[in-house]
Amino acid sequence: MAVRRVLGLGELDRGRPASPVGRIGEAELALARDLLDTMRASPACVGLAAPQIGVGVRAFALDVRGHKKAVSCHGELVLFDPQVLESDGSELAREGCMSVPDLTGDVRRAARIVVSGLGPDGRLVRMQTDAFEARAVQHELDHLDGLVFLDRLAGPGALHARKVYR
Amino acid sequence: MAHYFLHAVGRDRPGIVARVARALADLGCNLEDSRMTLLRGEFAVMLVLDAPEGTDAGAIEGQLAAVAEELDLAVAVRALDLEGEQSSERTGLPPAGSLSTALSVSVHGADRPGIVAGIAEQLSGVGANVVDLATHVLGREEPVYVMVLDVVLPEAERDLLEERLARAAESLGVRCVVSAGDAELF
Repeated sequence: MAVRRVLGLGELDRGRPASPVGRIGEAELALARDLLDTMRASPACVGLAAPQIGVGVRAFALDVRGHKKAVSCHGELVLFDPQVLESDGSELAREGCMSVPDLTGDVRRAARIVVSGLGPDGRLVRMQTDAFEARAVQHELDHLDGLVFLDRLAGPGALHARKVYR
Repeated sequence: MAHYFLHAVGRDRPGIVARVARALADLGCNLEDSRMTLLRGEFAVMLVLDAPEGTDAGAIEGQLAAVAEELDLAVAVRALDLEGEQSSERTGLPPAGSLSTALSVSVHGADRPGIVAGIAEQLSGVGANVVDLATHVLGREEPVYVMVLDVVLPEAERDLLEERLARAAESLGVRCVVSAGDAELF
């Protein structure tokens, strides 16, 4: 169990595409614990994908509990080999990312999704979600495909700097 | 009424927009499209204005002289011919109708000189036009460059552009993602 370092954008860009795990073994359980530990270590973090801690595997952790924009909420979860089965609707909202701390951006995503995957107990999970949680799932899925929210922006005007330089 | 393009830049401080806008309003100018933003402590103004008949660029700059002096702004005004706004003769671009496909291009990777030039050259090479662009440098020790562009181009050139961008990105050591520019009508 460990809090791992979250990679920055430059390191993510040099990474390889994430591979499916197929089954849950010791390595996958350790990864799940590290994802959760690392996510919990940052109060503002609602999701974290394995590539963000340098692990090229299709897995992410999520926890939107207590977020003011969350409607559906499945609590703290880790999903391996996730896939979107259905998606519907469209919403534009502002996102940030632990790997890109200085920028936020307005991104259009599906408003409702059904996603499946393997839980850490090895069982198949089928999750229907919407609003903020659905957005977070899609954001993490992008990481597994080597994409960041910057690749999904509604134009350059949708890019916002967090910091003010002096 | 005649149109002018004004650009102004200076160290950011409260009051720039208010003072510039008031000086222009006092001259009877109407502000139309603009982009004003803060970049690294400098406030940059780009705006199109409509001035009363008989006003020229010099008169507008003169009206702003006191504000420019006091706020330490560099100001320049030039005449615009909006009659020819869409004319391909004036702009040298292909006829407006042929730039039918809108794309969003995002580029990011280790910062180095040549990224904007390398990517932009691929765009102009297929007759694409950049309509909006923003860039940021992130981090201090191993800076990462981020660029996002809105581009329009003839539909027929899209595949060639994506191919050329992929090769340019690889040789620049950056990632480049191209997606359809989305626009929805409600």
